[in-house]
Amino acid sequence: MTRRQVQTTTKRRAIRTLESKRAAEAEAGHSSGRFRLMMRLGDWQPAGEVLFRRSWPSRLDLKQEIMDELAGLLAARGWVTPEDRSWLVLCLDEAITNAMLHGNEGDPRLEIDVAIACDGRKWQIAISDRGDGFTMASVPDPDDPDSLLLEHGRGIRLMRAWLGSLTYWRRGATVVLSRRCAGVT
Amino acid sequence: MAQPSGHLIIQNYDRIVLVSIAKDRLLDPPVITAISTELMSLLDRHAKPSIVLDMAQVAYLSSAMVGKIIALYKGVAAAKGRMAIAGVRADLMPLFKITQIDKLIRFYPDAQQVIMEYKRKPL
Repeated sequence: MTRRQVQTTTKRRAIRTLESKRAAEAEAGHSSGRFRLMMRLGDWQPAGEVLFRRSWPSRLDLKQEIMDELAGLLAARGWVTPEDRSWLVLCLDEAITNAMLHGNEGDPRLEIDVAIACDGRKWQIAISDRGDGFTMASVPDPDDPDSLLLEHGRGIRLMRAWLGSLTYWRRGATVVLSRRCAGVT
Repeated sequence: MAQPSGHLIIQNYDRIVLVSIAKDRLLDPPVITAISTELMSLLDRHAKPSIVLDMAQVAYLSSAMVGKIIALYKGVAAAKGRMAIAGVRADLMPLFKITQIDKLIRFYPDAQQVIMEYKRKPL
C-alpha cells in the first residue's frame, strides 16, 4: 500500500469515526464538542483563558467569513491595531489555507478547529486539521539562494516575520499563531 | 488566449503593458489562479515584454499570489523582457522585502514613473 493510500485510508477511518460519534451524540441528545475540540488541538497549552472555539468544514468559500470573524474578534478586543490588520489576515489566510488544502486535502467532510486564547499580554490562535502533519524538511529553506525563484514555500516565513511565535503541534497538524497584544510593552 | 478574469485592467502604451490589479484581496485560490493565467497569457502576446504591474488597489495578498508574481517574473526574464511593480501600499512592502522579491523585481511608487522610464529606455 502506498503512503497516499495509507493517508486516504486513515482519513476515511477518521470520517467514519467522526460520523459515528456525531450520530451517537445526536442519539444521546447532548454534545461533548468542547472536549472533542481540545483533544484535536493536541498538546497545545493555551495562554490564559480560551475565549473562542469553533469548527468549520474545509471549504475555501468559507475562508473569508472565518477570517473576518477571527480578525474582527481580535480587533474588537484591541489586541491588533488597524495598521496590522493586513498582516493578521495574511497569517490567518496562510494557516487556514494550509489546514484546509494540505492538512485536510480539501475534503469538505473534514473540519478545521479554531481556538483563541489570551493571557492579557499575548493572544494565541490555534488552528487544527485532521491530516497527518508535515515535516519542516519538506518546506524550502528561505535562506537558500536557490529558493528565491521558487513559486511556493514562503507562507511560514511570512507568518514568522509578523508573529511573536509560530509553533506546531501534532507533527504539524495543529498550528498556534501568537503575538503580543497591541499596546502591551 | 486566456479569458479575461475581470480582475485585471490591461492597457498598452507602445510596447509597454500596464497591468492594474482591480481587486483589493488577492487571497482566494480561484482568484489567484485566474489572475495568474491572464498574466501568463501576456507572455504569449508580447515578445520581449515590458510589464508594469500596478498593485495600488491591493490591500491583502497571500504567499500564493507572491508565487504567481515570481512565475510571471521568470516568464518575462525567459522572454528577455523586463518587469516592475508599482504602487504597493506601505504596509504591504515588508512582505516583498521579507520574501526578497525586492531583490528580483524593481519597485516604484507609481506606474507612471515606470512607464516614463521604460519609454526613455526602450528594449
